[in-house]
Amino acid sequence: MTVSRRDGRAGQDVLRRVGEASVLILISLADGPKHGYALIQDIKELADVELGPGTLYGALDRLERLGLIEPLPADDRRHPYRITAPGAAALRVHLDSLERVSAAGRLRLRLGGI
Amino acid sequence: MDEPRATRLVEAVLRCYPARWRRRHGDEAADLAALLIRDGIPAGSVAWSYLAGAARAWLTPRPGRRLSTVACALLVAAGSLGVSAGLLASTVPARAAVTGQVHGPAQCRPGPPEPVPGVIPAMGRPRVIGWEAGHGRSC
Repeated sequence: MTVSRRDGRAGQDVLRRVGEASVLILISLADGPKHGYALIQDIKELADVELGPGTLYGALDRLERLGLIEPLPADDRRHPYRITAPGAAALRVHLDSLERVSAAGRLRLRLGGI
Repeated sequence: MDEPRATRLVEAVLRCYPARWRRRHGDEAADLAALLIRDGIPAGSVAWSYLAGAARAWLTPRPGRRLSTVACALLVAAGSLGVSAGLLASTVPARAAVTGQVHGPAQCRPGPPEPVPGVIPAMGRPRVIGWEAGHGRSC
């Protein structure tokens, strides 16, 4: 998905429309492979967000279809997932974009004296 | 809810997923549910999350699934909802009349709202993502 920006540059923020759960999963996988339960625990710790198991599997399937994560061989009955190189690149682009928006928001709050 | 009942409930809900999904995630999803319930998450909440996930799994278009199949599933679901709503609408006025006769104004007294079963106040608890936006086909 190509996102056209007003300055004419084309960004590749594929995570812009995948939903918060998918972004949180990618962030959680950024430091190493994890299986479902570990993902839920890690996301609860890092973002104070409780992912429902149905949401988790939906997001994992979607991220896998997009080629942003890949399953590793099953460990017992659990399937660990790891972030792929395109997944890491997409996460970097998305976090940069969030940083720009966040900086602009803070600046405007300062300018508005709020 | 005791453990065997919770397990049966989750197993029943997991059967709502497409076979392909069950082959891939079924065992792991059952284990995950058991772990979450052991951690104190209500079995109903886990089952509800899986139920919503099953609906999404059926409705998300896949390369191998024809759009017409998805459209048919949507039509059937909408039809069932319409019939249920119609039945409810036809019975509600009758029930309301009966309730009014039997209990009278005592039912209409103002008071604090009743707690709704299954709904937990969000204050001081982690935010719960039960539905992820953007599950449709991306542009």
